[in-house]
Amino acid sequence: MISLKNVAKWYGSFQVLADCSTEVAKGEVVVVCGPSGSGKSTLIKCVNGLEPFQKGEITVDGISVGDPKTNLPKLRSRVGMVFQHFELFPHMTVMQNLTLGQVKVLGRSREEALQKGMKLLERVGLSAHKDKFPAQLSGGQQQRVAIARALSMDPIAMLFDEPTSALDPEMINEVLDVMVELAKEGMTMMVVTHEMGFARKVARRVIFMDAGRIVEDAGKEEFFGTPRSERAQLFLSKILHH
Amino acid sequence: MFAGYDFDVIQRSLPYLFRDGMTFTVTLTLIAMSGGIVFGTLLAMMRLSSFTPLSALSGGYVNLMRSVPLVLVIFWFFFLVPYIGAWAIGANEPIRVGAFWSAAITFTMFEAAYYCEIMRAGIQSIPRGQVWSGYALGLDYWQTMGHIVLPQAFRNMVPVLLTQTIILFQDTSLVYVISATDFLGAASKIANRDYRLVEMYTFVAVVYFIISYALSQVVRRLQDRIAVIR
Ligand SMILES: Nc1ncnc2c1ncn2[C@@H]1O[C@H](COP(=O)(O)OP(=O)(O)OP(=O)(O)O)[C@@H](O)[C@H]1O
Ligand SMILES: [Mg+2]
Repeated sequence: MISLKNVAKWYGSFQVLADCSTEVAKGEVVVVCGPSGSGKSTLIKCVNGLEPFQKGEITVDGISVGDPKTNLPKLRSRVGMVFQHFELFPHMTVMQNLTLGQVKVLGRSREEALQKGMKLLERVGLSAHKDKFPAQLSGGQQQRVAIARALSMDPIAMLFDEPTSALDPEMINEVLDVMVELAKEGMTMMVVTHEMGFARKVARRVIFMDAGRIVEDAGKEEFFGTPRSERAQLFLSKILHH
Repeated sequence: MFAGYDFDVIQRSLPYLFRDGMTFTVTLTLIAMSGGIVFGTLLAMMRLSSFTPLSALSGGYVNLMRSVPLVLVIFWFFFLVPYIGAWAIGANEPIRVGAFWSAAITFTMFEAAYYCEIMRAGIQSIPRGQVWSGYALGLDYWQTMGHIVLPQAFRNMVPVLLTQTIILFQDTSLVYVISATDFLGAASKIANRDYRLVEMYTFVAVVYFIISYALSQVVRRLQDRIAVIR
């Protein structure tokens, strides 16, 4: 479904990504972790073309992201993305957030979009909040709306960039629960997160990044059992101990 | 203290001052404001473009407009617009453009440079993530700008845009150089005809002050209310 081959990216002379290759098969959940600044966000933004890359190839459902001839908006409309800081549109109500893409990009009728939006809000348990503005919701609620917004486009895959790291601890689970459910339904997911509990529960593979490289790309059991690289061991011991 | 002055002249000329003069001033201000904000926003989008020729063109235009005195621009436009218009439509003779439309075009073009800088700051104040999340939904550049970035930028900048408009409102009085009958122009015609300079110019100053001051109070009230809550 998602395939990266020898992807490299530079900011000026600084190399953010080096020789990154991996695959996410249909229905697979892959967790990406690694220390701050290792290039996780950059990598996941390359997947739907939010960041350009200079070398290598990324394909999503067989379509090349780096090809200048590719219709990027169309490709992106088929890949959902959830950000660390939610990025709901603050000047629109929750429902308007959920219908904008459906109407403007997919060309659905307003009624159809509203119906779909309502169904998704029910699913994330927020239908009572449909006419509120994002600023009136808690962080956990905002992130659930953001997930619903991404799902409103009927994506073939979902990308998550640290969806819980801006949340207060007591709100993390309400978001993870939604994600776990999504994973169990067979959604293809690439998730940057340090929530190893989530990884243990639903991930098929774990990717560990360091200094712009994919240092480890292993099955979940193998990764949590005995990571091959020292860096990964050190990282794991740090985040598992608090 | 007011012996020798005749303040009745004001009352006698009120209809002329307001129906002709103030209407001209207000209409000119509103047209230049709307046109200037639209054109200025386009300039700001160009200026923020990663395509260098576009941003250089816009930057050059803005800097040029901001480095020449407005009076000169008004003056030059008044004489040039008929020729530019003729050239644009391929006519042989200079087209006839009245003082009003000449002024409207001039002020729109001139103010756009200032509105551009305001809108540029407004656009830059919107977090990058908002643009990303628009793109991630599959919106294209114009949709992301139109539905997400500009509405927020505009709302955040309304107080500054209005403050600039108050300055514009005062600056429109410079159309006296092309003998247009704006509020000041109308007052000065009466002043010279009846030889009541002190009375008329005092009155004009008071009116400009009251309107500008009232507007600036409105801006202050708006400030807290209109910004997008995030
Ligand atoms: N626009 C940019 N210009 C220059 N350097 C950048 C830019 N964006 C990111 N970087 C650098 O690229 C590197 C990777 O950044 P990235 O955000 O992908 O890391 P990350 O793994 O997501 O880190 P975190 O865990 O803090 O989110 C960092 O060193 C960062 O400073
Ligand atoms: Mg990051």
